[in-house]
Amino acid sequence: MSNNQSQVHRRHFLKTSATAIGASALAPTIIPSSALGRDGAIVPSERIVVGGIGIGRRGGYDLGCFLQQQDVQFVAVCDIKQKRRGEVKQIADEHYGNQNCATYRDFRDLLDRKDIDAVLIATGPNWHATAAMMAARAGKDMYCEKPVTKNIAQSLILAETMRRTGRVFQAGTQRRNLPHFAFACELARTGKLGKLKKVYAHPRGMQAMMSGWLPAEPEPEKDIVDWDMYLGPAAWRPFNKKLLDGFNFEKGGGLVGGGVLEWGSHCVDLCQWAVNDCLPPVEYNAPKNGELVARYENGTKLIFREKGWIPLGSCPVRFEGETGWVEAGDSGKIVLSSPELLAGHEVAEIGGYPATYHVRDFLDCVKTRGQPKGNAVAACNAHIACHAANIALHLGRQVKYDNTTHKFINDEPANRLRSEALREPWRL
Amino acid sequence: MACKHLAIHGSGDAVPELAKLLPDPQLSSWARIALEAIPGRRPGEALREAAESLEGRLLVGTINSIGVRRDAIAVNLLETLLKEEDAEVASAAAVALGNIANDAAARALRESLFTAPSSVRSAFAEGCVLCAERLDAAGRSDVAAEIYDQVRTADVPTQRIVEATRGAILARKQAGLPLLMETFQSPNNELFQLALSTAREFPGVEVDQALAAEMVSAAPDRATLIIQAMADRPKSVVLAAVLDSARHGNKRVRLSAIEALRRVGNESCLPALLEIAVDDDADLSQAAEETLAALPGASVDQQIVAMLPKAEGQNLQLLLKLIGQRRIDAINGVYAALDYSDPAVRHAALTALGETVKLNSLHRLISEVVNHRHPDDATVAQQALGVASARMPDRAACVLQLATAMERASEATKPILLEIIGGVGGTKALEVIGDAAMSDDPQMQDTGSRLLGKWNSVDAAPALLELAKTAPKEKYQIRALRGYIGLARKFAMSNVERAKMCRLALEVSTRLEEKKLALDVIKLYPSHATLKLAVSAQQDPELTDLATIAAQEIERKLTADGSDVSGVLSRPQ
Repeated sequence: MSNNQSQVHRRHFLKTSATAIGASALAPTIIPSSALGRDGAIVPSERIVVGGIGIGRRGGYDLGCFLQQQDVQFVAVCDIKQKRRGEVKQIADEHYGNQNCATYRDFRDLLDRKDIDAVLIATGPNWHATAAMMAARAGKDMYCEKPVTKNIAQSLILAETMRRTGRVFQAGTQRRNLPHFAFACELARTGKLGKLKKVYAHPRGMQAMMSGWLPAEPEPEKDIVDWDMYLGPAAWRPFNKKLLDGFNFEKGGGLVGGGVLEWGSHCVDLCQWAVNDCLPPVEYNAPKNGELVARYENGTKLIFREKGWIPLGSCPVRFEGETGWVEAGDSGKIVLSSPELLAGHEVAEIGGYPATYHVRDFLDCVKTRGQPKGNAVAACNAHIACHAANIALHLGRQVKYDNTTHKFINDEPANRLRSEALREPWRL
Repeated sequence: MACKHLAIHGSGDAVPELAKLLPDPQLSSWARIALEAIPGRRPGEALREAAESLEGRLLVGTINSIGVRRDAIAVNLLETLLKEEDAEVASAAAVALGNIANDAAARALRESLFTAPSSVRSAFAEGCVLCAERLDAAGRSDVAAEIYDQVRTADVPTQRIVEATRGAILARKQAGLPLLMETFQSPNNELFQLALSTAREFPGVEVDQALAAEMVSAAPDRATLIIQAMADRPKSVVLAAVLDSARHGNKRVRLSAIEALRRVGNESCLPALLEIAVDDDADLSQAAEETLAALPGASVDQQIVAMLPKAEGQNLQLLLKLIGQRRIDAINGVYAALDYSDPAVRHAALTALGETVKLNSLHRLISEVVNHRHPDDATVAQQALGVASARMPDRAACVLQLATAMERASEATKPILLEIIGGVGGTKALEVIGDAAMSDDPQMQDTGSRLLGKWNSVDAAPALLELAKTAPKEKYQIRALRGYIGLARKFAMSNVERAKMCRLALEVSTRLEEKKLALDVIKLYPSHATLKLAVSAQQDPELTDLATIAAQEIERKLTADGSDVSGVLSRPQ
C-alpha cells in the first residue's frame, strides 16, 4: 500500500489553488502562471459559477468552504425566507467587494440561469432529493447536504437520474475526504485487517423522529416566508414557526422517521467504503441490546450501535477483521489494534470534520467529469442501508432486501415503506 | 396521520374514502401517499377517475402518482392530457408516459415530440428519454436508440440532447463508439463533458484505444480531461499513451498524464517518471515525485531497489527519497549510500533510514548519531533517528537501545538521545527520563526535567512529584511541579484523585505562583473533594483570601447543581 493513497491528492493540472486548510499533509497546489489572469485571479473560463439553495446554518458553513476556493464565483442565492436571502447576499457581496449576488425566492428561477454551472443545496432534508434531481434536469452539477434522500425509492431514482443526466453529484458526506477516515477505510478494504467481519456505525439515536402536524399559526406573507415553497414536496400542514429551520418532516426519513439517518448517513457511508462500496446489506434486524444488526451478502455485519465506543468524537466508525481492527472518529484520531497497521505511515489528524476537501473534490470533478467521493451511487447505497434499517426498526422485526429487484422479499408492509408520494406539483 | 397509517396498513377498502380527498388542496397529497402505496387495481382506478375531473396542481399530482404506479391502463388518458393547454399538466403526462414505457406510451410520446409547443417540449423529451431507458433495460435497444435519436434532433434544451446522446451511445452497445467519439469532437462544451462521463461507463476495450487516439489529436485543454477519463478505466487503459503524454508536449497535458499515472501506472513508468522528477520545471518534477511515491505495485519497489546500486547524483538522491516515502525495505543499499562523499546523498540516505529502519537494525542508525562520522550529517541523522524511534512498535525495546547508546555517547549527544527517548514515550522512556532528571549531569537534569514537565500522560505524575521534591536545582523542582499541576489540569481522572494531586502539589509548593496554579485547578473542577481542599488551603496565610474565593466559587457551582455542601464548609476566623 502506498503511504499516501489515503491522502487527498492535488490535481496539478487543474488551474486551481489550494486554500489555507491548515493540514500539514497537503502542500499548495501549483497554478501555472499561464492560467492566471491579471493580479493572479482565475480567468473566467476556469471559474465554476455557483448558486446556493436554502443556505441556512449548515449551508452557511458549506458556503464558506466554497468561497475559499479561488475558482468559484458565487452569484446567486435562493431562500424561502427574505431575511436569509439578504444575509447570504451580504456574505457574498462582502466577499467579492460588489453588489452582484442575485436573490431568488423560487429556486426554479435560479436553475433557469444559463450561467450557473453548479448549485449548493442545503435546504431542509425534505427538499434534498427533489431539488437535486430538478437541478440535474436543469443541467447543473450539485453539492447536496445529507441526508440526501427520504426513502429507498428516492435513493434509487437519484442514482439513476445522475447517470442519465451525466451530472456531477456530491453528497455532503465529507468524511470520505478526511485522511484518517480514508486510512481506516483503506485498511479495511485492502485486507490489512484480515477478512472483514464487522463494520460499526454510530446512528446517534434509533428512534423515529416525526414532525407531524402542529397547530396552525397565521401564515406570513409569501415574500417574507414562502410556506408553500418551504413545504415543497412534503405533504401539506398548516404554518407553524416551530416547523421552520432545522430537521423537520420526519427527520429526512419519509414515512417512518429517519432515526438512523442523523449520523447514519455519515457513518454508514464510511462503512460502505470500508466494504468497497458493495451493494447494501440484504438483511436487517430490529434493535436488540442497543444494536441493530444488518448483514451483507458476503456475511459481513453492519452494526448500528449507540454505546461502547472509544471516545474519538462524533460519527465514530469501527472496522473489525479477522486479524485486526481500527476505530476512527471526528477528533481526527484513529486507534488501531496494533501499531504495525500504521506501518510507519503518517496519517494527518484533521479534527472537526471540515468540508473543505470535500468541496474541492467536488469542484475538481465538475471540471474532469469524474466521480467525486460522495457520488450518487455511493450515497444511494449508504442511504438504502439506513432506510432499510429504519424500516426494520419501525416494523420491529427482521426484513430482507433484494439488491436485484430493489425490494424487500415477500414483505408487503416493508415494501410499502420504500417510497412516498410527493406533494403536487413536485416529482422526482 | 391516518393517511400514513393507511399507506402502511390500508387495503383496497380504504380507497373510496381516500379518493374523496383527492380534490382537497390540503389533503390531496396525504391521500396520494396512501394511494401510491396500496397495491391492487382500486387505487389506480381512483386515480384515473380523479384525473378526469381535476385541474391544475391537483391534476398534476394525480398524474404523477399514476406515473409512479406505472399504470398502463392510464395511457390513453395520459395521451389526451398531452394536449392540455396547462403546460404543467401536459408535462406531467409526458413524464408519466415515460415511466410507463409500454409501446403505446412510446408511440404517444414519439408522435407528440416534434409538434409539442415549446413550453412543454422539454418535458416531452424527458418522457421520451425515460421511455427509451426502460425499453433499453427490457432488451429493446433498437427501439430505444430510435427514440434517443429522435430527441437528439428535436428543438429541445441542451440538457435533453445531452441525456439523449448518452442514451443513444449506450443503447447501441459497441456500435455506439463512433457516436461517442463524434461527441468528443463536438464544439459544444456540454456535449464534450457528456462524452467524458459516458466514456467512463462505456463497455469493452475498443473505447480505450479510441480515447488514446482522441487524446493525441485533441486540443490541450480537452486532452487534459480525456486523460483523466482514460485513467478512470484502469483495467483497460492504454498505458503507453498516457506515459507518452507524460513525457512530451503541452505542460498541462503532461501534468494531467503524470497525475493519471498515479492511478494506472506500473514499474514500466519508472524510468520516464524518474527523468521527469529531476526536470528543471518545478511543476513537472514535483508532480512526478508525488506520482513516484504513490505508484502502485510491489514490483515498483523491487525496481527502485534494483536501480539503487548504479544510480548517481540527483537520481540516487531521488531513489533514496522514494525508498523512504514508499517504506521500502532496502537497508543495505541505503547504508551503502552513507559512505558517499556527497552530503546530499548521505542526507537522503539518513532520511530514508528514518522512514524504513526496523528495530533489529536501529543500532546502525543510532551509531550514525553517536559516532559522528560526518559532522555536517549530525542534524539529519538525529532527525532520522527521532522519526525511526517514534515508529517502533516495541517502544520499550527501542528505548532500551537508545538508553544503552546514551551511556557511551558524548556529553553533547546524551541530551539529544534523551530527547529522542522522550519522543518515543511509554513507561520505559519515563523511567529513563526520570533517572536522567535526577542524575548529576546538569544537561541531563535540564533536558530530563523539561521532557518530564511536558509529558503527555498521567503516568508521569509520580516521577514529577518526586522531582519536584528532590531535583538538584530549584528551577527543575519548579519545572517539575508545574508539570505535575499541569497533569492534574489536563487529564481525565476521578475527583478524589485530582484533589489528591492538588493537595500534594500544595504541600510541595514553596512559592505562591505554584500554589496559585494548584488553586486554579481546584476551582476548575468543583467537587466535594476540591471544596474540602480549598477550605483547608485557607490555613495557609499566603493563600487565605484566594482559597476563600475558590471555596465560595466551588460552593456556588455545587449548590447550583443541587449538591449538599453542608458539613464541608468552614469560614476563616
